[in-house]
Order: sequence, then C-alpha cells, then structure tokens
Amino acid sequence: MKVYLGLLESSPPDHTRIFGELEGTLFDVNLACAAHLAQSPAERASAYALADFYFPKNIQGFLERGECARKMFDQVIAFAQSQGASKLRGPGGEKVVHEITKIRILPPLQQPNKSFVIGFSDRARAESMPRAEIPTAYYKLPQTLIADGAPILWPKFSQELDADGCFALVIGKRGRRIPAEKAWEYIAGVTLMVDLTARDINRREGLTTNNLLGKNFPSSTCLGPAVLIGAARDTIEAMKLELFLDGETKRRFSLSDCVFTVEQIIARWSILGINPGDWLAVGASMALSGDRLHSAVPLKIGSTIRCWSPLIGALSHRVVSA
Amino acid sequence: MKLVTFSHNDQERIGALDPIGRIVDLQKAFACLQRESKTIPDADEFAVAVLGRDMREFLEHGEKSLEAARESLAHIAASEHVSKKCTVLQPNEIRLLAPVPRPGALISAGKNFSDHVAEMASKKGPAAPVAFLKLPGSVIGPEDDIPYPPEVQNLDYEVEVAIVIGKTCVNVSEAQAFDYVAGYSVFNDISARDIIRTENRTGIHLMGKSFPGFAPMGPYLVTADEIPDPQSLRLKLSVNGELRQESNLTYMIFKIREMIAYWSQMELHPGDVLTTGTPRGVAAGRKPDQSSWWLKPGDLVEAEVEGLGVLRNRVVAES
Repeated sequence: MKVYLGLLESSPPDHTRIFGELEGTLFDVNLACAAHLAQSPAERASAYALADFYFPKNIQGFLERGECARKMFDQVIAFAQSQGASKLRGPGGEKVVHEITKIRILPPLQQPNKSFVIGFSDRARAESMPRAEIPTAYYKLPQTLIADGAPILWPKFSQELDADGCFALVIGKRGRRIPAEKAWEYIAGVTLMVDLTARDINRREGLTTNNLLGKNFPSSTCLGPAVLIGAARDTIEAMKLELFLDGETKRRFSLSDCVFTVEQIIARWSILGINPGDWLAVGASMALSGDRLHSAVPLKIGSTIRCWSPLIGALSHRVVSA
Repeated sequence: MKLVTFSHNDQERIGALDPIGRIVDLQKAFACLQRESKTIPDADEFAVAVLGRDMREFLEHGEKSLEAARESLAHIAASEHVSKKCTVLQPNEIRLLAPVPRPGALISAGKNFSDHVAEMASKKGPAAPVAFLKLPGSVIGPEDDIPYPPEVQNLDYEVEVAIVIGKTCVNVSEAQAFDYVAGYSVFNDISARDIIRTENRTGIHLMGKSFPGFAPMGPYLVTADEIPDPQSLRLKLSVNGELRQESNLTYMIFKIREMIAYWSQMELHPGDVLTTGTPRGVAAGRKPDQSSWWLKPGDLVEAEVEGLGVLRNRVVAES
C-alpha cells in the first residue's frame, strides 16, 4: 500500500498529514483511522487521540510506531475501502477524501538522519569501473529534497547535469550492527529517488575523494511520490524502475542490477545505526558511457526527467534555470 | 554573547552565560521580562514563539531572537529581586550539550592547512575548497564521551573552528560572507583513518568521519560580534595533557570568507555549520611511528580555541 505525505491547501508547512489512495483520490489516514475506531463504542471517546498516536503528522513518525501502527494501517485501508470514497468521513463528519490535485505532495521522508546513496552500485556501469569491495556511500542532505513535480533548478556553477534513477529502501526499525541475515527485517518500504549530479563538479571533487557540491545543491534529490509500505521481499526484488528523458527510456533498473545485495548494504551501513525513516538508495545512472569522466546523456534546460515504477508511481521533473 | 544549549531536568533548553559564568535560561528569562511588562498573557508560550524551541530555530529567527536574548540577559542582570529559580543556573546544575545539537548540514573542510596537507603526504593543496559532509547525528557536546567503535583501529583527532551560519545565503561574495555568520565554536573532527582508507579506494569518505560521537562541538556558540578577527584565532589540541596541535587560523589555505562564499553555492541555512579544517599534528601525520598517538579508550582530548573556550572529551570503549 502506498502512503503519501502532503499538505492541505490551507495548512502551514509543518501541518503535514499522511494520505492513502482510494479510488483515484487521496484520503487522510489519520481521520480515517479515527472514523474506524469510533465505530466501536469502547474506543469512540479516544478515537482521535489513538489516531494521532498511530498516524502522527509524518511518515517517519508512523514508522517509529512500529508493528502496531502497521497493523492498524491495514485495518484502516480495509475500512476505507468498505466505506468507499463517497462515504468516507471522519467521526465528526470531517472531510477525509481529497482530489489528488488539492493536496500539495511533499517528499515522503523529510528529515532522515541517514539519506545515503550507495556509490558505484549499478552493475552496467561498474563493469568499467574499479571493482568496489565494500558498499561505499555518499550523503544527500535533507535540504536538497524536492517532491514530485517540483522543478529541478540548474545550478549556476555547473555546465553538465545528469540524473540517476534509484530505489530508496526505507528503514522501518531502529538497529545497529545488523547481521546480514536479518537485513530485510529492517526494511519497511521502498520509494523512488532521482539523484541529480553536477558531473563537471563531481569529476573535480572526485580527485580529492570528496563528493559534496556536485551532489548537494537545491533540488538535487527528488524523492517520492509515495512510499510503498509492507511489500514482501520478493515483490521488492522483482520491482523495476524506468528512467525517461523527454519521454524516451534511458535506463531500466531492478535490485538484481545492483553490485551489492541488500544484506551487504544494511550490514555495512547499520554499523552507524539506522532509524525509522532513514533511506539507502541504489540505482542506475544516465551516464551510460561507463566512463566516470563523461556523462552520455546530459540534461538541458527544458528537459523532462521521469522515473517510474508501477507499484510506486512516477516522479516527473522539468529542468529549469535557477 | 556566549550561547549554549543545555539539559536541565532532562529537558533541552537554550541559554546564555551571564558575566560570572552562570547559565541563564533564555526562554524563562524572556518570559519573566514579558510578565513584568504585563502586556502578554501567556508569557512562556510567547517566549517559545519568539526565541524558538531549540538553537536552530533560535538562529532561524535571526535578529529578533538575538535582540530578545540580549534584552533578557540585561534584565536578569539588572533585577536582583526576580525569582531566579530555574532561570539562572549554576554550571553544576545543568549539563552542557553541543550549542547546535542538530545542525542542518555539517560541512568540514579537508586539506585546508598546508602543514597538514604536507604531513598527510598529499602532493599539493587543492585548487578549490575541499570539504565533506559529516552526519549531523554524530554531533556531541562538551560533557559527552567519544565512543570508540570496535570496528576502528586508527582513531584520530582534528581541532577545528566551527563557523555557525545565521542567515540563509546563496552565492554570496567573499566581501559579504561574514554577514551570514552567527558565531563560532570549538570543533573536533574525529576521524577513523583505517575506515577512511578503505572508503577512499572506491568512493568517498563518509563512515570514517561519521560514527556516533565523531563530531564534538562546544562548549559555547560565541556570537560573531565578540570575535572581531576570526581569521587570526589561535587553536590547539592536547591528548592527556600532551600538546599535539598548535596553530592559527591565519594559516588556512581557503580563508573563512572564501569557504562561506564557495559553499554558499549549495545554499546555506541558519544552523548549518562549516568547519575550518585542521593544522598539522594529527596522529596520522606523525613520523615515523603513528601507533602511540592514535586515540585509545581512556584518553582525554582537549581542543582549545582562543576566545571560544575548551572542548574536553574523553574517549571511552563502546559498550
């Protein structure tokens, strides 16, 4: 099931809400939960309070609630489907269902402690690269995040921009030094990430084994549109994403195209500790020439990037001058 | 002002030091001032709205929160009769945390002192500012221990100055750079050299710089108005009382104003922190034998910067 993070048109920036999908519309999961609980006389009085407990204002908070909130989520989905979009209302008659265009969709995870991209993980590209023995990573600053539909601002300092399409594996459980065989227990869901690179800067920074300005400028990290929660491991392993440039497929990617296994990645990076709402991304680069020094398909002002996976949806972004 | 973040009764609070080193709880002091003027009914909540809930919000609120803090401090100093319980605290009643416990971005300069570049056997200094990101979650305060992770063999120290950004800036010029600085603090860029070596072979360093506790900062955030010439601050570091690093920011390759101008290209925000890079004297640079200089559990590391205080942390084995 997909969860979105969004704002009602009338909400200030920190009044975010969690939304689910129903019949092509979005519904407020917190209020639907309250309506579901209020059906039972014993829980009517505490329905709003319990809904706030299970579904706080963001997805990270929901993930922190763990298994009990995940189970409640399943119940709420079933309840919403039984009511149908036309009948679904809050306990006090509140509006719960919204047209998708009336919600301002946000990056689903806004302040992760760890938002890492595993480097050189694309098998197609890694074949011409030095063989990576351990999954190294770089960090994408939360302040660089943008949501589906937001423009990518061409940074003034770069002449050469390209994009990677990634799966971001979303952590659902706190842990540290997790043994490989338990890795999948810590993955709550998956979302899409488009990783923008100012390749000319990145090339120069690579000489000093640093990776900062070329990967972290405003709008350099597109995340969303939704987090697919509760998918089974084999479902996630079978998922494919497609990266389009101006409508034309440039890359396809699935986890089996990654040089490293999920077990290796979690075992390595959980050494620092991982928390609900953190994400670790792997993906495929547009820079297909295989040569680190040249990007085969650089973006242009006006280019449209689209990253799509059937169970998650699509991220669509237009490149504009800053 | 010397601004602090501290813990009192298990609550994180923002404060400032008074002239005799006591800690003034800024929200409480400001609320006290409001109550006396009798214009605001809910003084405590108003204080939170004006000053912010934590240091990052305090910095985001800009001149307004700074002015409120100054007024509150002056008011407390002038009024002997106000109840000072919970408003003015002795150092032993509280625990100092890092002044900015959760920076938005923590950008650390590498290879920024030529004597350090030389000791690390780099051929030459970089052509453009070099920096890496440390995880904001690795920040600890002046009363915390540095956990020694079992994965690490070669643990090292690096005394630096933390430059705390006070205003959003994009593409600022070097001439304007200092307008965006809220203040300065002492910083220790703890580094696991063996982990960094393996990371450098195929990528960039992240883990080796970002274990929990690898970013001690403190004890205070000294506001920029009290540091007239930040580019000439002296800094030093000792381990168990033995002097290892001693230098002056005047020897930075890329100066503070150049760093701010350069990194403002990626947009800097209030509560972001840039660190200066470190001079020579780290364990990794010791010739011929480094082994006796690596940090080990029990070591006391004291980083000191002129005018910014001493940042003292003990290394402890991770349990």
